[in-house]
Order: sequence, then C-alpha cells, then structure tokens
Amino acid sequence: MKHALHSAVFGLFLASTAAIADDLPTYKLLMKDGRIIPETLEVPANTRFRLEVRNEGPGAAEFESLELKKELVLAPGVTRNLVFYPMTPGTYKFFDDFHPETGQGRIVAK
Amino acid sequence: MGNAFFVVWRESLEAFLIAGILYAWLQGNDPGGKGKRALFIGLAAGVGLALLLGLALLTVQDELSGNALEAFQIGTLLVAAGLITQMVLWMRKNGRQMKARLHADLSAAAEKSGFAGVAVVAALAVAREGAETVIFLYGMSQEGDYGALIGGALAGFAGAAATAWLAAKSLARLNIGLLLRLSSILLLVLASALFVAAIDRLIGAGWLTPMLDPVWDTSLLIDDSTKAGKLLADFSGYRARPALTTLLAWAGYWIVVFIAWRRSGHG
Repeated sequence: MKHALHSAVFGLFLASTAAIADDLPTYKLLMKDGRIIPETLEVPANTRFRLEVRNEGPGAAEFESLELKKELVLAPGVTRNLVFYPMTPGTYKFFDDFHPETGQGRIVAK
Repeated sequence: MGNAFFVVWRESLEAFLIAGILYAWLQGNDPGGKGKRALFIGLAAGVGLALLLGLALLTVQDELSGNALEAFQIGTLLVAAGLITQMVLWMRKNGRQMKARLHADLSAAAEKSGFAGVAVVAALAVAREGAETVIFLYGMSQEGDYGALIGGALAGFAGAAATAWLAAKSLARLNIGLLLRLSSILLLVLASALFVAAIDRLIGAGWLTPMLDPVWDTSLLIDDSTKAGKLLADFSGYRARPALTTLLAWAGYWIVVFIAWRRSGHG
C-alpha cells in the first residue's frame, strides 16, 4: 500500500528516469569497514550510468560528494542505487562521511 | 571512539545550533515564553521523526522508494529554509510593531503561527540530521563496539550541545538590538545553506539541470571535501565547485531576502 502510494506520487515525477533506468550501464562500489572498493572508479564521460553502492558493514557508511551532489546514508547490509547524469571529463572526489580518514575515493570520467 | 565523537558532534551540531540560535533569538522577541515552549515541543517531535526516518533509511533498498526518500529529504530542506527565512522576516516586521505598541495587541493568531513555525523548524532540523545519527549509531551497535558507541556518542552530543550553548550564551550577552540582528543574520545564513543543499540534491537526483557545472573551482583556496571545508559548506552554503543553477539560486535567495529585509525595516 505504502509502496503503491509512493509509486503514484512519484511515478509521474520519475517517469522519464524510470523508463530508461534499466538499460543504464551499471558500476558497483563496495563500502566495507571504512574503506571504499575500488578507490578509483573509471566511467565513460557524457553518459548516464548507475552506481550500485553496497555497504558490507560492519558499521554504517555515508556516500557523500559535494562535487557530485550526492549524499546517501547506508546502514550495514544495505544496497542502494545512485543514478549519475552525464559528466564532463574529469576527476570527482567522494568520501565516506562516517569514515573520512580512510574512506576516500574518486570517480574518473573519461 | 574519536571518529564516533566527530561524526555525532557534526551531525547533531546543526540541530543544536539552530535550537541555540532560535533560543537566543526568542530571548529577544518573546518575553512570554511561548516561543521557547514551542521550540522544546519541536525538538522532542524531531527526535521521534528522526527515529522514523532512520527506520525508513534502514529498510529502503529499491530505487523507487529510494527516490521517494530523497524527494522527502529535499522537501524537508526546502521547508526548513523557507520557514526560517519567513520567520526571521516576520519577526523583524512584527517585532517593531510589538515595541511600537508597547507589546500590546499583536493578535494571538499571528503569534501562534509564528511560534508554530519555530516548532516545525526545530523538528525538521533534529529529524534530518538525527536520522543520519540514528543510522550511524545503529551501525556501531552492529559492530558490537558498545564502549566506543556510548562514550563517543555521548561525548559527541555533549560537545554539540556545549558548542550551541556557547553560541547562544555569547549572543545573549549582546544588547538586544545587536542580538536580534546577529541571530537573524545567522539564521538566514543557515537557511541559505539549507537552500543550497536542497538545490544541489535536486541537481544530483537529476530533477534540475545544473546548466554549467562547475562555474569555477576554488578548491585550492578552500577545499570543501576536507573536514573543516565540509563544515563551512554545511553551515554557510559554500561550494568550491558550484553549478550555475546553485549559484543563481543562492544569489536569488539573498536578493529576495535583502529586499524583504529593507522593506520590513521601513514598514
């Protein structure tokens, strides 16, 4: 029921996004014990893609980047998808906001 | 332990600061104490909301609900930014009237709506940052590291409360005119930071075009991905590599506020 309500409210909002979401190239990122694996992720520039972020724990993690304009809190064991919009070539830093000392990574768009 | 302290301190600082500045600001505006009661009710409601939102963040995994959650979080940012701004400007206008009529007959309805705003702002501030703290603490409890969890978390909360208390106390020390002006400006700066965060997340979610991104890069000057730079970004809306849309939204915010501020001053 709750899901149905969400779908109804946001379906319209997301119609364009959802329709083509399934043929997006997908990259995987693992957050584990304050580390980010891999630390450097290469993606094609000027292309939409999906990043599947999984937090293996044991603690919580927060994928965050002001440059990439993303902020996502992940409880241990949770997997969430982030859709990225076409990026101009360059290096974009991101970090685990709950483990800023060890959890630094970057996305390189080529 | 050190990390738990820093994360909890930073996550709860925004909520405590908003509460602290609101408290100081009410000190100058609200001799009856109704606003302060509204503030505490709002803070308590915020804790409940934070737990609910934390639970939602724990369980949501699929993309559609994830997007709904993102939209909800962006919504709370926008509502908080709007309410804080409206409240500060409202009080600037009506505070003058109050003084002019020797706190006479400002209608009860207007007063009530003003203080309902205080409660909602406080609740949203606690809910948004609190939800992330809930997830973080839940994660630590999964690690089974209870000593660090309790020690770090308590120290973090206490540190944030002390920081906010210090800010509120130093504000309250000022004479009333300066207190009102300074706390109003601090609240507006915070609101602009919330607004910038909302715009950025709208862009990040693909619901708003960035137009040109980035317009410039000042990360050599102040890097917003460092601990200190991130704090500055969270509380002032600073971005080392702003998108044009974000920049325009920020400028638009201050133009509107500046005009409304001037107008309320003359009214």
